Amino acid sequence: MIPDRIIEPGTLKTDGLRVSVEVRIPWYRALPASCIGEAALCVDGVVVPTNSLRWEMNGRTFTFADMVDETGQWWFPTDSAVLSGDLALSADGVGHVVDVELELFLPYLIVDDEVLRIRERDSKAMRAVMA
Amino acid sequence: MTEQLGTPIQGVTLYSFTRAFHGREYDLEGLIRAVVENGFGPGLEIVGFSSLRGFPDVGDEFVAWFRDLVDEVELVPTALSINADIGIHRTRRLTQEELVEYMRLQIVAAARLGFPLARVQISLTPDSMAALEPVARSHGVTLALEVHADQHAAHPRILALRDQYERIGSPFLGFTADWGASTIGIAPSLLEAYERRDAPVGLLRKAEALWDEYHLAGPPVDDVDAARRYAAFRSLAGAFGRPDLAIDLAVNAVGIFGCAETSSWVEIMPWIRHVHGKFFGIDDNHEEPSVPIRELVRLLVESGYSGAISSEYEGWHWNSWESPFDIVRDEQAIQRAAAEDAESRMITDAGEARSALSAHLGTGAASD
Repeated sequence: MIPDRIIEPGTLKTDGLRVSVEVRIPWYRALPASCIGEAALCVDGVVVPTNSLRWEMNGRTFTFADMVDETGQWWFPTDSAVLSGDLALSADGVGHVVDVELELFLPYLIVDDEVLRIRERDSKAMRAVMA
Repeated sequence: MTEQLGTPIQGVTLYSFTRAFHGREYDLEGLIRAVVENGFGPGLEIVGFSSLRGFPDVGDEFVAWFRDLVDEVELVPTALSINADIGIHRTRRLTQEELVEYMRLQIVAAARLGFPLARVQISLTPDSMAALEPVARSHGVTLALEVHADQHAAHPRILALRDQYERIGSPFLGFTADWGASTIGIAPSLLEAYERRDAPVGLLRKAEALWDEYHLAGPPVDDVDAARRYAAFRSLAGAFGRPDLAIDLAVNAVGIFGCAETSSWVEIMPWIRHVHGKFFGIDDNHEEPSVPIRELVRLLVESGYSGAISSEYEGWHWNSWESPFDIVRDEQAIQRAAAEDAESRMITDAGEARSALSAHLGTGAASD
């Protein structure tokens, strides 16, 4: 497990109303979108509304509901995905603390007849730049 | 034990270098060349879904590139690790037909890339293996189901597979023996990683004691027993006020550090087609403190095993402060010394490795 690399340093972007950050898979192998469960994004402790979160991967943008049955798009271990959501933030050169929590389903590990799910967290400080 | 001593083939899985690849320090070609430069071959194992973008869809151009590269650097593809993603739909399991097709695509990829053997996983039942045997046979790829740390060679599910293999009698079905099933302690580097996360010393000592207790009792007899142990480690972390470490500790202690005896592998030895030389770290004396590598290599040699051993370093999960290359180098030195102590040797020559692997698998693969 490589949770310390979930958040790509220096990738916090804002357009004033939405923020985004690049994220890396904390696992050793590619997983399809269907195995990406929930995510949470906070900036300076302010939680980005869950229903505004979007996931961009392989040039496509998904809601988390879209991904439940999506087995054709895969998150490769060396690729960054982009997690974004509604949050008013200015690119004022001030440092911010970004927190990301990510739930993954590990599709070959079945425990008690359920697909094993893991939740991993990362936290990094960085400045926001204009999107 | 057989009269003919085995000469296991030295090799490595790129899984050992997960952090380096994930960290974009090496691309696939760079990593393969680093394996050669460090003398970690001739055996080469790759995890399809880790190293190959778009896997199992490998295009003609990529296949040609990969085979040319492996030939150029004189490595011998020993195993492609493929995954039985039975829970890929999250809310339901793949049907048997879907699973066979899911695996078929990966087996075809293994054959095209030149791997004579595919490591498969425990989510495949004896019936799944029977259904996959004709697929394996038609593509010339042996399916070696991994006996991992949360099982062991005498686990009821493994014995059911062994019995199925004996019924079918095919050279295309067997096991991958993962040394993580027969460890002798939690890795000191994992305990150090917990210390770095400010885990209470009392928690770590109790965790070690609990693991030793289970080791003495023997491996879990079934999945219920394993779940009970998992819960015990979780409770322990909670009792010391560190619920944040609970799942991690439980998964590692029960799911990664198996507590079967080295001798337990004898139960399935005739069906061992591939070995994961799982290990977690090297101490100041250049020994592996939690895996009895010397005993394991001796057992393989004395059992006449001349298949591949892929050094599989798994300490990368928690160890971000040491080079996996230094650690693999030391572990392979232990393997070679152990083989010599057992009056044999490890095969390190590519040509000899190809011949030995072909004879070991007995399927006509790996000889070209």
